[in-house]
Amino acid sequence: MINVPVWHYDGRNANKWQPRLLGDNQSFRLIDEGWEAGPYQWADLVALDTAGADAVFGHADAQGWRLGFAGDIPADVAALLPQRARYGGIIDRIGLGKASVAFACVAALVVFGVVKAPGWIAPFVPQSWEDTMGDAMVGDFGGRFCHSKEGDAALKTLVAKLDPDARARSVEVANIPMVNAIALPGRRIILFDGLIKGAESPEEVAGVLGHELGHVEHRHTLTAMMRQLGLSVILGGMDGMGGAQVNALLGLSFSREAEREADMTALEKMKAADVSPRGTAAFFKRMGRVKVDEEQPESDKPASERKAPENTDKKTRSIPVETIERATGWLASHPSSRSRYELFHNAAVKGHDYAPALSADQWKALRSMCKVDKTVKSGWGLGF
Amino acid sequence: MEEQDVQAMQEGSAFGFYGTWKEYAPIAFTNLLLTIVTLGIYKFWATTRTRSYLWSRTRFIDDRLEWTGTGKELFFGFLMVLLLLGVPFLFLQFGAQALVMQGHAGIAGILGFLSFIVIFYMIGVARFRALRYRLGRTYWHGIRGGSDDNGFGYGWSYVWKTIVGYIPMGLLVPRAMMSLWNERWNHMSFGPHMFQSQGSWHDTFKRYLLIYLLPFMIIPFSMLVASSFGSGRMLAGGVLMIILFGIAFIYIGIPLIMLAFYAKFFRVGVSGLSLSTLDFHFSARTMDWLKLFFVDVLLVIGTLGIGLIFLQYRHWKFFITHMEATGEIDLDALTQSDTTMSKHGEGLLDALDVGAF
Repeated sequence: MINVPVWHYDGRNANKWQPRLLGDNQSFRLIDEGWEAGPYQWADLVALDTAGADAVFGHADAQGWRLGFAGDIPADVAALLPQRARYGGIIDRIGLGKASVAFACVAALVVFGVVKAPGWIAPFVPQSWEDTMGDAMVGDFGGRFCHSKEGDAALKTLVAKLDPDARARSVEVANIPMVNAIALPGRRIILFDGLIKGAESPEEVAGVLGHELGHVEHRHTLTAMMRQLGLSVILGGMDGMGGAQVNALLGLSFSREAEREADMTALEKMKAADVSPRGTAAFFKRMGRVKVDEEQPESDKPASERKAPENTDKKTRSIPVETIERATGWLASHPSSRSRYELFHNAAVKGHDYAPALSADQWKALRSMCKVDKTVKSGWGLGF
Repeated sequence: MEEQDVQAMQEGSAFGFYGTWKEYAPIAFTNLLLTIVTLGIYKFWATTRTRSYLWSRTRFIDDRLEWTGTGKELFFGFLMVLLLLGVPFLFLQFGAQALVMQGHAGIAGILGFLSFIVIFYMIGVARFRALRYRLGRTYWHGIRGGSDDNGFGYGWSYVWKTIVGYIPMGLLVPRAMMSLWNERWNHMSFGPHMFQSQGSWHDTFKRYLLIYLLPFMIIPFSMLVASSFGSGRMLAGGVLMIILFGIAFIYIGIPLIMLAFYAKFFRVGVSGLSLSTLDFHFSARTMDWLKLFFVDVLLVIGTLGIGLIFLQYRHWKFFITHMEATGEIDLDALTQSDTTMSKHGEGLLDALDVGAF
């Protein structure tokens, strides 16, 4: 027979009662002067937070019903009481250490899956779905595509050389002054006018086009979109900043792999078309040097270096920065300009006489395409 | 049955906090660990553990508070928001991007504005429901609080009062804020009693006007300083001083005045609050708030960010130690609340990241 003093809230009003608990192994009653309540089953009790040193229990079916034990609980009663949850169901059962390791393993698997799975799934997404989605997203790019009779013909020639099987559904030049090109979902490639204006030869443009064709062929754009979506969903649970950073890092590690693949495809296509990779190599060499000037402005250098710029060998000056770029290469979305320069430079067959990618007239037509087109909309602005 | 009236304010304040850093640290650190290894999913259980601890170390008159919320309901609340808001907004985001690319910036703009209004409305609803959820999960003497209102009406009040408050150069903002505070609390109850909130915006208005007065004080002052630099070459130094004062005004002056205003607002708001025969008060003044945030910053910077996990503890302690209540409670008359209990937690609130007060 159990008989212990307890304190009690009945959940109906706020009075604190001091009854005695009388019962056996199955059930108990609460008895005070003038009232008694029960029977209650031990099995219906729920362990709650302690109040100071007092152990407190609730009842599964009665809100606000509380049973408190002031001081030590007799061993026979303690054996009948439920355990208090600490971290939460599963963790309490297997222990904090083991649970943490298990969760970490599952988390790593999930992240790995989300990073890798799009690469496996993307090839099985029907191309027509991707094309429809791409058209819905891009349309006519807000009327920013440049057209001229000669320019279109020149672009067509270049595309036919590099993409004889017509893997890309469209290749366009957009009137945007950025040195860039993009492969959009739906096998659409856009070369920005800034890139073409900044290129010194049609071979440079051919290299970039080949690279974007690589993205199209390997369905990188769809893969990247799926991955980005997956990462933002699983990392959405983490607090804003941390999640976004992890997300960006994982996205980047993908990019490098894909960029490499696209570069290899570009080289294959250029080889097949008999277009020299030297132009593209020169482009990356220039890119590397541009970064030199950006990252190490004159004023940041010691005075001794600043005085006689004409005596400074350009090449030796750019080496340390290229080293930095290479060392931090894992952070950048593209492989370092240096390694890409080497890749394209070494691919050129010595002594081989490559055919020009475009004739001088065609090259001129391509470069002046956006200038000639009077109806094209410009820039990113919303002035339309 | 013997009458058990408890005299509030019998020993100092009716509210007390007995937590310690040492006691809380194991909770905070294990929460951090589990949140990381579960990619953030444990956050909901972590919040619950933290609240359970803070509530259980909080005394009101003669007994502690009790937090009965669960991690599971917070998690489901979050999932619900993800479905209700996340999916449409994801669609909208991609859709808007596509519309801009295709040259329909106008439609994209309208959709963007609509989603802004919807989010605005949802923040209002979330504020209301967060308070309702917290009261509904807080027990004292076996009795809980709550509200029978679902907060959807409050959401519209929140939208139009805030917008109207900003229209006359922001002059009606304190009035809108206090009106919303009162509206929110007047829908809440504890046990059988409704809260009564009658905070007056007049009392907070002088503080608020400082924002408009500050430029008039700063400009002549900086002119004075500038003129003391004399003419000619030193004039450049004078102009520089004006610019420096301008920057100091924007980054230090405005936040300080806003803090001073909010300190006053919170004091006035809580003072206007009563529950049956209980009246509430809040004693923290601007300097107290300033100290709180200053130490917060030092703590977070000094621990390279780890201190973030202690902020919830600090803020709750600050809140409780400055809360006071006067009056009497009739324990017999304080019967159980019959307000409906929502099955899910403050999902909206967590998703939109706004506070309850």
